Amino acid sequence: MLKLDSLVKRFGAVTAVDGLSLEVSRAEVFGLLGPNGAGKSTTIGMCVGVIAPDSGRVTLDGVGPPTEPRVRASLGVAPQALAVYDDLSGWENIEFFGRLYGLRGRELKARVGAVLDIVGLTPRANDRVQGYSGGMKRRLNLAAALVHRPPMLLLDEPTAGVDPQSRNNILDLVRTLAQQGITIVYTTHYMEEASRLCDRVAIMDHGRILAIGTVPQLVAGHGGKSVVTVVRAQGEERTETDEPLHVITRAAGEGGVLGLRIDRPDLESVFLSLTGRSLRD
Amino acid sequence: MHAILALAVKDLRQLLRDRANAFFTFGFPLLLAIFFGVIFGGAGGGGSGIAVVVVDQDSGDGAARLIADMQADSALTVTLMQDRAEGEAMVRRGKATACIVIPDGFTAAVATILTGGSMRIEMVVDPSRRAAAGLLTGKMNELGFRQFGRVMGDTDSMLAAVGGAKERVLASEQTDPVTKGLMSMMFDSIANVARRANAPAGNDGDPAGGGGLADWRPVDVVVRELKDESVRPRSSYEISFTQGVVWGLMGCVTAFGLSMAFERSRGTLLRLSVAPITKAHILAGKAISCFAACMAVQILLLAMGVLVFGVRVDSPMKLGAAFGAASAGFTGVMMLLAGLSKSEGAGAGMGRAVVLVLAMIGGGTVPLFFLPQFMQTASKISPFTWATLAIEGAVWRGHSWAEMGLALGVLGAFGLVGFVVGTACLKWTHAS
Ligand SMILES: Nc1ncnc2c1ncn2[C@@H]1O[C@H](COP(=O)(O)OP(=O)(O)OP(=O)(O)O)[C@@H](O)[C@H]1O
Ligand SMILES: [Mg+2]
Repeated sequence: MLKLDSLVKRFGAVTAVDGLSLEVSRAEVFGLLGPNGAGKSTTIGMCVGVIAPDSGRVTLDGVGPPTEPRVRASLGVAPQALAVYDDLSGWENIEFFGRLYGLRGRELKARVGAVLDIVGLTPRANDRVQGYSGGMKRRLNLAAALVHRPPMLLLDEPTAGVDPQSRNNILDLVRTLAQQGITIVYTTHYMEEASRLCDRVAIMDHGRILAIGTVPQLVAGHGGKSVVTVVRAQGEERTETDEPLHVITRAAGEGGVLGLRIDRPDLESVFLSLTGRSLRD
Repeated sequence: MHAILALAVKDLRQLLRDRANAFFTFGFPLLLAIFFGVIFGGAGGGGSGIAVVVVDQDSGDGAARLIADMQADSALTVTLMQDRAEGEAMVRRGKATACIVIPDGFTAAVATILTGGSMRIEMVVDPSRRAAAGLLTGKMNELGFRQFGRVMGDTDSMLAAVGGAKERVLASEQTDPVTKGLMSMMFDSIANVARRANAPAGNDGDPAGGGGLADWRPVDVVVRELKDESVRPRSSYEISFTQGVVWGLMGCVTAFGLSMAFERSRGTLLRLSVAPITKAHILAGKAISCFAACMAVQILLLAMGVLVFGVRVDSPMKLGAAFGAASAGFTGVMMLLAGLSKSEGAGAGMGRAVVLVLAMIGGGTVPLFFLPQFMQTASKISPFTWATLAIEGAVWRGHSWAEMGLALGVLGAFGLVGFVVGTACLKWTHAS
């Protein structure tokens, strides 16, 4: 569906994307996980044809590069920087974007109504966006990507600046879209989002992909061992192990256990082991 | 085309939604047009001639005839007053250019002109209007000569004048008898000529009558004014509404020119580039919306001028052409501004300032024909000047197509060059 081939993009001295290759298959939810400045947005920019790579190639669905408008018609993009017009109402914004994608008449109206409903903005549809909260603008930004029913969505940090409840709504929405067979590229620096949503995740840092695979694969490959912590009267006892159950059974046999904790490796540990840094620092 | 229209409609909507932009594009120009129209004094900007106050202290026929001649002259606007001090006060207050006093004995003096007497007229002028005072002196000389002609044309006055002159010569002691005799013969012959020349016209002294001496003018200056300069706006609103248009165009240009910088820094420009449209679509959308807004501003303002303030348009066809050319020209200027303002901040402020200055010298503040010559020349760099000329050409200057051609062409060139240079300089991404 989407194929990136040794993409390189430099901004002056900064190499934002450094020889990145990956392939996203149809109906897959693909996560780009990385800290600030990893090169996620630059990658998305190249995927949708607004940033020209210094070298390498992007192909979409085997039809061509996204620099061709025809190819872009099959993309839905929600940029990280909110791209909605404050002076217009929510309805007018979505209607405008719908027209850019060739929708018109009754179909346009129906689609605008439908996507505003999906993102939960119907009650505020006729208000100017100026008065929306950050989370509402974020949802509108997402609605603009959906209006023309694209078979492929590129969502750049769609939950940035959103409260936990809206965030859950957005995650649910992405799940629903994925179930409808839409291919989704999803960037985030929240590992929970990546593990909850994505079929496969690429871990990015400094413009490079450090690891790529399903979440269990990544954790198994780079997450290290689970840590079992046994709390006794005389103190805590930490054990790194691949078989936490064995450790627990043994500890229970020895008696005097006051508490137990199992820390299973996750994407955070994967990132830590790959870069020596935490995802959020 | 569908996408271009969607873009254009979006831009126009945004323009109207943004209160400040909408005000500076539509409201402010209208207020200025009305304001300038009122302070420059409603009707009759220049068509009414030099305002003078006349105080008649003579009250004779001679004075009455002079006053009638003055009133009939299109170059003068005459107000009659009884009191000299009152008349001078009018001049002091700037209500009149001069106070003309016709002194007692004027009618009697008219009769003595043949023998070296002179008609005396006093004129008190406003020193700040020397040029007008000079004009006025010439004018009064011309009218004075006409009185002289009248004396010659009127048999009775002529005979009286000749008779009086003969008597004075005969009575003179310095003149020798031979000269006295010759002079006396000469005066008799003149009296004979006068009697005969005026006879067919009617004996009872019709002064304007026949082919006699009534039409005699020692200096006959035939004044023909250049068509171009003789045409003046019929009312100050015809100027001020063009000024309003200048400000309206400026509002459009800055609003749309900066909206590009705005969209770029906000990221919406990038978002538009993601849609299945080309950059040409985006540019065309901006251009069409700017063109439409320029047209709307011009039409609305002028319509207001025509419907409410009595502005008359000589040629609606030419006005349409002027509007079209101005809209095209300013769409180009807008593109140039969009291309050159790299950011919302400093660059945009600079662009706004430049456009403001161009509008000010291009007829936005002082009407073009009031500007000193060198400023008129300098103002030619401003596209606003050409828009003003084109619109004025259609509204009151009575220009022919040929005369409008230059302004229309220059506006078109501004449009083309601005569009090409502007799009070439335009940055699409938000480079840091
Ligand atoms: N237009 C630009 N000009 C200069 N440098 C840029 C530009 N865009 C991105 N960069 C640089 O490229 C690098 C990658 O930026 P990018 O926005 O792709 O990161 P990101 O992974 O999306 O980060 P974030 O999570 O903060 O959005 C950064 O160092 C950034 O400073
Ligand atoms: Mg980013």
